[in-house]
Amino acid sequence: MRPILSIAGTTVGEAIRRRVLLIILLVGILFLAIAPGLSILSARQERAVLIGLTLGVIQLTSVVIAIVLTVYMIPNEIERRTIYTILCKPVQRWQFLVGKYLGAVAALALMMAMMTVVLIVVYAIQQQVYSPDQLAPLAKAPVMFFVQMSLLAAVAIFFSTFVTPLVNFFLSGGLYLIGSAFSSFFESISQSANVQPFAKGIATFANMILPNFAYYNVQNPLINPQQAIQNETVYYIQVTVYGLFYIGILLVGGILIFDRREV
Amino acid sequence: MGAAIETKNLTKSYKSKQGGRINVVDHLNLYVEEGEIFGFLGPNGAGKTTTIKMLLGIIYPTEGEGYVFGKELGDMEVHRIISYLPEKPYYYEHMTGLEILRFYGSLFGIKDDDLFKSLLEKVNLAGDMTKTINQYSKGMQQRIGLAQSLLNDPKLLFLDEPTGGLDPIAHIEIRDLILQFRAEGKTCFISSHELSDVERICDRVAIINKGRIAKQGPLDDLLKGGRIEITATDITEAFSKTIQDKDAIVSFSHGRLIVDLPDDHNPNALLDAVRSSGGTIVSVIPRRKRLEDLFLETVSGHDGSSVEIPNPNDAKEGAEA
Amino acid sequence: MKKSKSMLIGAMAVLAVGQGLMSSGVILPQWSKNYKPRAEGIDGQLGPDQLLFALAGFRELIAGILWVQADRFFETGNYDAILPIIRLVTLLDPKQIDVYSTGMWHIGYNFTDEEQRSDRRYIPSALALGKEGATKNDYTYEMFFETGWMWYHKVQDDFPKAVDWFLQAQEKKDMQQARKNVLGMAYQRNGQPDKALETYLRLYNESDALLKKEQIYSHFQNKETLEKNADNTLIRMIQRGWLAEQEGTFDQGSYDTKPPFDVQFSARVTVEEARVIRVEGFWGVRPVGTRVRFILRDSDYPDAIPGGMLWDKTDTVSLDPPRDRTWAQDELFVRNQRFNRKLDLSKDPTMYSFLQPEYTIEFYYNPRVAPPHIQDKFGWSGEGMTDKNFLRTDVREGSRVVFTQLTLTRDQILRRGEWADKVPIVQTKNFIAPRNVRTEDEILVTPGMLSEPLEPKLNKGERLGGGEN
Ligand SMILES: Nc1ncnc2c1ncn2[C@@H]1O[C@H](COP(=O)(O)OP(=O)(O)O)[C@@H](O)[C@H]1O
Ligand SMILES: [Mg+2]
Repeated sequence: MRPILSIAGTTVGEAIRRRVLLIILLVGILFLAIAPGLSILSARQERAVLIGLTLGVIQLTSVVIAIVLTVYMIPNEIERRTIYTILCKPVQRWQFLVGKYLGAVAALALMMAMMTVVLIVVYAIQQQVYSPDQLAPLAKAPVMFFVQMSLLAAVAIFFSTFVTPLVNFFLSGGLYLIGSAFSSFFESISQSANVQPFAKGIATFANMILPNFAYYNVQNPLINPQQAIQNETVYYIQVTVYGLFYIGILLVGGILIFDRREV
Repeated sequence: MGAAIETKNLTKSYKSKQGGRINVVDHLNLYVEEGEIFGFLGPNGAGKTTTIKMLLGIIYPTEGEGYVFGKELGDMEVHRIISYLPEKPYYYEHMTGLEILRFYGSLFGIKDDDLFKSLLEKVNLAGDMTKTINQYSKGMQQRIGLAQSLLNDPKLLFLDEPTGGLDPIAHIEIRDLILQFRAEGKTCFISSHELSDVERICDRVAIINKGRIAKQGPLDDLLKGGRIEITATDITEAFSKTIQDKDAIVSFSHGRLIVDLPDDHNPNALLDAVRSSGGTIVSVIPRRKRLEDLFLETVSGHDGSSVEIPNPNDAKEGAEA
Repeated sequence: MKKSKSMLIGAMAVLAVGQGLMSSGVILPQWSKNYKPRAEGIDGQLGPDQLLFALAGFRELIAGILWVQADRFFETGNYDAILPIIRLVTLLDPKQIDVYSTGMWHIGYNFTDEEQRSDRRYIPSALALGKEGATKNDYTYEMFFETGWMWYHKVQDDFPKAVDWFLQAQEKKDMQQARKNVLGMAYQRNGQPDKALETYLRLYNESDALLKKEQIYSHFQNKETLEKNADNTLIRMIQRGWLAEQEGTFDQGSYDTKPPFDVQFSARVTVEEARVIRVEGFWGVRPVGTRVRFILRDSDYPDAIPGGMLWDKTDTVSLDPPRDRTWAQDELFVRNQRFNRKLDLSKDPTMYSFLQPEYTIEFYYNPRVAPPHIQDKFGWSGEGMTDKNFLRTDVREGSRVVFTQLTLTRDQILRRGEWADKVPIVQTKNFIAPRNVRTEDEILVTPGMLSEPLEPKLNKGERLGGGEN
């Protein structure tokens, strides 16, 4: 466990100093800060636009950070040969991989927490609400986004054990897009009458095995508070468990590949 | 004393650019005694780093086997008592020297700040331990590497090109450290493509080329075959004619004599003769063999195997197997 | 290693099955109910999700920006450009009620021909948009009310639909008190004065309670209005014999709707020039306030029914009305028992393409849309109205309407072929041309010159102008 934590800690330290990531983060925060100025609708829509926009900024920024952070993580270690000085110590490869992953997740948590704080401050100032009861629910979506990004990071780590960063960038990004849209697509297919059963079967299968990133896009009820949600907490727990299952699969798969990988 | 390292037909092959497979390390049989300073010498691309990586379990042999302290390659128990200084290493640049040692120490479960500081002192970095690595010079990075490789008080050190790109003073420092290791009974496995002061302290060397051992043995033995050049003046032509040694190359003009002898010939008799003939000895210069000569000898087939000098550009490591 | 490897693969398999079951069995239904992106194409025709999901969170913003742009087009009258924006905005951000209501109004009212006849081919789309807006915003009354209003005011037919929408609107917590009154009017239009009265009384009590809670003028005013409306309705129920009819005593008493008045409808359609049509005819009601619906449409216009079409059959918001279809609709205003109107359909070929071979002309009068002073004679559902030739009880359920059809061919309307220099005229067999009268103006100044002047007995003629809120 100690090596895993040490490696994770070092990874965080490195990630929060990476200039690309800091610039992306800064741009994200900048957008969050100027978001109120972009809300240009009638009073009724203003709140919705503000929340939708700021959550969107957080999500988009986080996706870019998650991918850029993780696709280079293992290849960089190999290229700089730092991995040799680690693997020649009593550190198992799976420990290295898990440590790197946990580091990435922790760095993401840090950066997303920062953005969430900015979001809440901006919202409080813009909407003139200061009670924690009203502000706290805003953090719901970022928390779910965080689980989503952890899943995305696991996808990228998994791919990084056997493809180059550039390919990985498109693979992980592509899978994120597909995983964000597929369940909508799947729903319309499975309800449509003029789709052949064979195609439906394929869609069902794909929907089962694809990582469903869409499950974490829980911003709708925040943007439109009129929408009443039952068992919200239960849902959050369920999708988190789902995410952990999926992350488990990806990490184990990554370990199996990485274990035989020549570095 | 037992074997620190032993390999049997250790082989690693990679896809070659031409399409087939090429044995980068080719049925290598090594034996390194415990407590020994072992030089693993060869030109760039000979397969030295590849061999070390296999011995460390970072990459896997295609064929053959190897043992470190009697255990199979990649054994975690062995990793506790060995260490590795990679060639041209990088360390996490955002960390300070002390943090680097703390990090690597934690991988062994070591939390001893006093130990870290004494190691930093040992490698002369005590004054720079709060600077981050990106402020370190090349030599300082090499030394912090050495410090981290000493964290676990290893019984066996793999030093891959430890003098690469360093200045002569640094060479001396590293040589002194290695001599200290020998005094402490550690085994050192040093790979190099040059024969600097460091390699000269090796007890035994193996010369590897194209993945195969070309020569093996004590360095002095391998470097045998040097020559001695004796220059004298005030010599008569008659005296020059008296030199009988058939291995000697004699040149004479205007009273100046130059004799080139193999270094296993005793020059004393000649020197005495010169002096007694009234001549003056100007200089006696031993010309030792250089490693390049040795490589050239081995690669140009003096010992029967016909091999060519690899293009140094090929020595770049590819990313993929 | 071998062993742990197979163990890991086993663990992966277990996790894979676990996530698959969780995903499709537990999470997907909840997600689909609560969190699914709202902006799916209706009928899957548009899939902006697939295009824009990367911008997921920016939908509301983009919708806002687009809507600002639409505003500018409104100012410049570039209506065609607005339509796709409305559609896109509502797809992107279906919570923008303003866009739904403005969009529905815009689609329903703003597309007109040169003579301000609105393009009815758009009505189904407008209603579909209203329906969609209501479904997507079922927490507020607004789109229910707006959609009901479109039925009530624009379609002016099929009043059960209006009633239904207004009823749904009333159930919403945020429904404005004063707007609830319109349900009573819709009930009356639907021939249900008892329901209307019930509504007025219920709302009266509500207003009263509200007024007790909060002494503000609007509550007071609303209470007054409701009192007056309830009064009027009750009086009309009595005078128009409606109550008697319910009790089966209609035959015994004398009521305003007795006996039914024969409107003696007749009409003639003349194709004066290519695509220029004159419609004239007789309607034997002397007080002003009668509008006879006139429709000229493809005989095979999809979903057409007598006097209209199945306005809300589709759920598709189409940006493009059927361009190859023709539907001209107008209200013929009766003055001095005559209507005479020239419809120039030549200036708007996109609205009136005349691409089909045969055209049906319909005249349709439903007393349910009549103003109160006329309803005083005709009753809510035409009990007091009749027509020797054209009274129909099978055209609208529960209502006695005047309805007839004529036919023209494409060649006749376009004045082509054998009709190039003949003037096509179609007319009801009872049509009698007024003497020497050709233009509307002349009819207005010479009322006495009509062929067969009639004296309708309109007892309540004095109450002309007695309006309703
Ligand atoms: N991963 C790899 N894939 C293909 N060829 C490789 C790889 N790693 C090393 N080589 C080749 O193996 C040869 C030996 O490399 P190396 O062991 O690094 O030599 P050196 O003796 O200089 O350390 C070189 O020709 C190099 O190009
Ligand atoms: Mg090397």
